Amino acid sequence: MKSYKEIEKKHSPEEIAESLVFPGPKDPAKRGEMLSVLRQVRKQQKESQSEESKLISQLLQLKFLIEDYLKADSFNKNFYFGYFLKEYITRLEKKNRQFAQEIDVDPTELSQIINKHRKPTEKIIYRLEIHSNRNFPAIMWFKILEKERAYELLHDKSIVNNERGHVKQQLKFSLT
Amino acid sequence: MIRNTKGMEIAQFEVKLKEVFTNSYLMAVIEPMTLADFKVVKKSREQFDKFNWNQYRQKEVYKLRLKEDDIILGLMCLIDHTDEATDAIEIELLEVSSENIGKEKRLDCIGGCLIAFACRESFKRGHEGCVFLVPKSSLLDHYPAKYGFQYIPVKSDRRPNGFMILFEPGARKLIKMYLDAA
Repeated sequence: MKSYKEIEKKHSPEEIAESLVFPGPKDPAKRGEMLSVLRQVRKQQKESQSEESKLISQLLQLKFLIEDYLKADSFNKNFYFGYFLKEYITRLEKKNRQFAQEIDVDPTELSQIINKHRKPTEKIIYRLEIHSNRNFPAIMWFKILEKERAYELLHDKSIVNNERGHVKQQLKFSLT
Repeated sequence: MIRNTKGMEIAQFEVKLKEVFTNSYLMAVIEPMTLADFKVVKKSREQFDKFNWNQYRQKEVYKLRLKEDDIILGLMCLIDHTDEATDAIEIELLEVSSENIGKEKRLDCIGGCLIAFACRESFKRGHEGCVFLVPKSSLLDHYPAKYGFQYIPVKSDRRPNGFMILFEPGARKLIKMYLDAA
């Protein structure tokens, strides 16, 4: 492994800072001292943090959690559309009724969506994009719904089978 | 697969790197290191010659590689300080591959993408974008200039012992600069 002096011979400080972070102090006392100051700084920063900054952090957390959930292969039954919608409303510190008014939706319909008793309509999804100033775009909400639906179709055969009676003709061969 | 504190998988994350000579962009991914990756890094002494990454096998380490191949271009070790008082992500170690450091580098933004990824993880885990690292004293001016870190000195009877820190606005800025374009 190269020593810092060797690295300095080859690269300028700008280049080093751009590309490397070195390990901090190994001495527990020195590290403890540093972390103690860090906690004080963090406390002061939290005390002076604006409400807007707190809200931005809360919403970014939700957005990134959704993005990563959508990219992940696995399905989590707790992360359904209504769960993320409720999280969005809660982080804005709004009541369901107030939020329903803001997007011109019947409070009962909103409550049914949150509690998984009803699927959201397209217009609600478009209004969520507008309400969030495009920070939570419609496509993101559609993808949550799509992931949810794919899981339901895989695990509940009755969803398709219930429609069997309505199909009068069907192909007689399989493509695979 | 590494899971975060919410029990969610940490997915492969896409970023864009700038190819210096052609001025074009290449797709890359940041993902958790596997044990096999540590063996590869150990063998790639010319690319990763600054630190002994094998010592970090049990820690939360990420690699950055081009989407099209498995060649590792950057490594980063994070510590998640979940206690309420610290409530931050620490970048314990970061290394860009040798051929991508300095004037002759082929690809740009590897370090920036990794640091911005740490900022994103900080928001995601509820640390409000707070990220810190411990600087070498000769680099005190350069982390703020390049990445917007704020230096906090620690008065000590020992050698200087400060740290570099980013809060919500600075972390957002890095995410916008290095990750949102992907």
